Amino acid sequence: MASPPTDEQPVPGRITRIVRGIGWTLITLGILMLGFVAHQLWVTDFFAKRAQSGLETQLAGRSGVSPEVVVYDPATGQSSDPIPWTTGSNGEIVPDVSSAGQFITGDVDPGDRILRREPVPDAGDPLGTIRIPDIGLQWTVVEGVSRADLKNGAGHMPDTPLPGQPGNAVVSGHRTTYGAPFNEIDELQPGDLIFWDSPVIGTHTYVVTESIIVAPTALWVTDPRDGGWLTLTTCNPEFSARERLVVFAELVDGPNAPVILDT
Amino acid sequence: MIRSLWNVLPGPLPLRIVAAAAIVIVLLVALFFFYDWLGNTFLDTGGTVG
Repeated sequence: MASPPTDEQPVPGRITRIVRGIGWTLITLGILMLGFVAHQLWVTDFFAKRAQSGLETQLAGRSGVSPEVVVYDPATGQSSDPIPWTTGSNGEIVPDVSSAGQFITGDVDPGDRILRREPVPDAGDPLGTIRIPDIGLQWTVVEGVSRADLKNGAGHMPDTPLPGQPGNAVVSGHRTTYGAPFNEIDELQPGDLIFWDSPVIGTHTYVVTESIIVAPTALWVTDPRDGGWLTLTTCNPEFSARERLVVFAELVDGPNAPVILDT
Repeated sequence: MIRSLWNVLPGPLPLRIVAAAAIVIVLLVALFFFYDWLGNTFLDTGGTVG
């Protein structure tokens, strides 16, 4: 004789409860991992692009900053203290080199050794814009490479010269997150052009000479170099911090190029 | 599990809803910072050297 139906649900066995627990755990882990992917790809991207919008406005305000003018001697790498200057009839800089002649070696007119400089902004403040038309890159670069700085875009490494100045200026940026400013710099080939727009000293042009992959500890890539250089660093491969992709580019044009290149 | 967590919340229904919402927000913020740290440490450090 069949037993009458009841409303009570059967108590699940031990194995059923274990399997159910494992199932819910896996579902939860899956949701957390999907959340992580969404955070890395889209949430960080949203915050970086929103920050870039504010930085562009802030950078425009930097155009009111006056450049410093120094006399630079490529032979020794030394430069004078900032010297007085006025603006000529065509808007050009007319320096007073009378106090800076001792920095020049050889029979050279100090007026031919004028270098424009700009004050280094505070950490996190915008410095200039990097443009690489070949890969559709255009990002406002901030001063500093702390985690907070790089969340807003690419960052200039302190203790290296500013772009447009003699030596090796280093700029770092994320490869896959926070807007991924340097996502496609692996596609750069020797000969590609990189433009650095400074609202204070103008636009300088660099040409890519070499791309290499190094360990994250390869600090030598930031070493000083003769001439003018722009070195870009980012993580490699994509979605990994195991290595660094480094692109070297040499200064070829811009207001300071003739003096830096001693041409 | 969610049901049992809901049952341990004290007070009347409106208070429970507010408490549950506060807990969810705190967990989401904590998760956000955890994801941020995880990504910045293992996935993409920003490409700095040294």
